[in-house]
Amino acid sequence: MLSFSGKRLLGLGHRVSAAAVVGRGYHERVVDHYDNPRNVGSFDKNDSSVGTGLVGAPACGDVMKLQIRVDEESGKIVDACFKTFGCGSAIASSSVATEWVKGKKMEEVLSIKNTEIAKHLSLPPVKLHCSMLAEDAIKAAVKDYEAKKAKHLGNAEAAQVEKA
Amino acid sequence: MASRFAARLLLQRLSTLRRARGTSSILVASEAPADVGGGGLFSPPGPWSALGPRCVSRVSFSTRPSALDERQNPAAVDYRSLMSEEEFHNLADETIHDLLEKFEEYGDAIQVDGYEVDYGNHVLTLKLGSLGTYVINKQAPNRQIWLSSPVSGPSRFDWDATAKTWVYRRTKAALLQLLEGEVGQLCGEPISLR
Repeated sequence: MLSFSGKRLLGLGHRVSAAAVVGRGYHERVVDHYDNPRNVGSFDKNDSSVGTGLVGAPACGDVMKLQIRVDEESGKIVDACFKTFGCGSAIASSSVATEWVKGKKMEEVLSIKNTEIAKHLSLPPVKLHCSMLAEDAIKAAVKDYEAKKAKHLGNAEAAQVEKA
Repeated sequence: MASRFAARLLLQRLSTLRRARGTSSILVASEAPADVGGGGLFSPPGPWSALGPRCVSRVSFSTRPSALDERQNPAAVDYRSLMSEEEFHNLADETIHDLLEKFEEYGDAIQVDGYEVDYGNHVLTLKLGSLGTYVINKQAPNRQIWLSSPVSGPSRFDWDATAKTWVYRRTKAALLQLLEGEVGQLCGEPISLR
């Protein structure tokens, strides 16, 4: 009798979600990002339209790489992807970040705050640091793109000067 | 996703090793052939090896100094050189134990529903009922104290040896002052933590 009911309990959902467990579980949005990963991947970081933000340190347990593809003319982020090494909250935070930056202008995404990400995912206090890292990743990606752009402009100018 | 699975496996192995040896350089020793010299330095494990260490480090900084660089860029600061791990633990433990005592005393003196102070695994949790929860813990690889505040969100404090305080580089806030201000305001009674 006991083993039968035990088996039934185990069969009900391979993963413990916040819905089933009070207090210590991951919020269902976090689980959703984990089960249905979106925008996981990599762009060619040498591509001039790509900005790459790499933040964190493995010793701390969290590393996020967030990449954006920017349309030069409009200054809008047309695509984004991420790869994250870390806990479920970190993965979900960076996943949300890639969703939120798509279609926005670069200046706009700089105003995305970690508090918004944390609220969206109902992150518990101890996981707020993950959302901060995601915010940092966005900023780092934008900064990288702009640095690359400036460098290319600088190179182009130098080439023109040489020709003259 | 294969890379995520590998990452989780890596993380599990890392936490087991870290528990056994208590030092953050284990990741370097077991996963990456290159010597990257420190807890804070980034060495891309398995699935990211295609990146190459040099490309990674170039991506993380810019030549312009900015607030963004002041936080821990993986290779910008060799945290081990700031202070030894033992020194860090002594310092951080002292700060956190002190906070623990003061929060407990404070709790006796005031009336806040759901006020609870918890200390386990070197993590200090201060629950203020519906007002929110503070979590304070050590982050040894970075030689930092991490704070999660219901008011100001997450912050990371480095030890400032000159001022003899823990300071959050981005805002220049000092840990004890920050907590005094926030907790005092939330609970309606001043608290002294220094």
